[in-house]
Amino acid sequence: MAQTNPPFLTGVPELLVLRMLSGREMYGYEIVKAMRLVTGEAIGFGEGVIYPVLHALEEGGALKARRKSVNGRERVYYNVTTKGKRRLEHLSGEWKRVSTGVNSALNGNGANGDPEHA
Amino acid sequence: MPEGQFESLRLELLRRGVTALYVERTILELEEHYSDLESAALASGVGADEAARLALATLGNERAIAAAILAQPALLTFSTRYPRVAQYLTLPGLPLMFCIEHRPELTRWVAAVGLAVTLMGTVLATLNWLIVLPPH
Repeated sequence: MAQTNPPFLTGVPELLVLRMLSGREMYGYEIVKAMRLVTGEAIGFGEGVIYPVLHALEEGGALKARRKSVNGRERVYYNVTTKGKRRLEHLSGEWKRVSTGVNSALNGNGANGDPEHA
Repeated sequence: MPEGQFESLRLELLRRGVTALYVERTILELEEHYSDLESAALASGVGADEAARLALATLGNERAIAAAILAQPALLTFSTRYPRVAQYLTLPGLPLMFCIEHRPELTRWVAAVGLAVTLMGTVLATLNWLIVLPPH
């Protein structure tokens, strides 16, 4: 099976999902809406792919799911566990480190200080 | 939503070894998500057909969803993740599985053999008693 993301982007969907859920419990549709809102729709994806991310995080113990009937609709709400909070901290740190490095490169801090000849 | 909208996806996931629990959950969540998207599109003023088309497009195609699920090893069954290990674990268990599967036949067979052994034993013991017993 081919990877859907380049290796260096692995962890970004998990990071965003955990961040969205760190405030309150939500179901899939709400998570996607919140994600689109806070990222300014910068990240485009078929919304259905959120579910494997949620289920894998649940299987890994980072999320806890519970079914709830709301207005006759069967919703699955997700909540971050203590393990999930630790994972969020770790992924946030990793992302900050990577983005600082990329920003530094984009701002022209090449190996010899000259981006044209870096 | 059309009846059995995600039926082909459900079958595909089961066939490819995704845990039944997560297959059922995924289908339920996709159906709910589709309904939310369709309702939102209808509320924005588009027609029913266009709302359905928009909802499906936003959700993404089934092939992409299936690929995303199959890319998560944690969602696959043990035998799909470790086929060799499952094979070696299953082989010694086959005779036991056979016995469980054919329990009624085996019970009858054991009862019949037990009865035959008892009868034969009784006959042989009687004969032995008749032969060995000294005549008075």
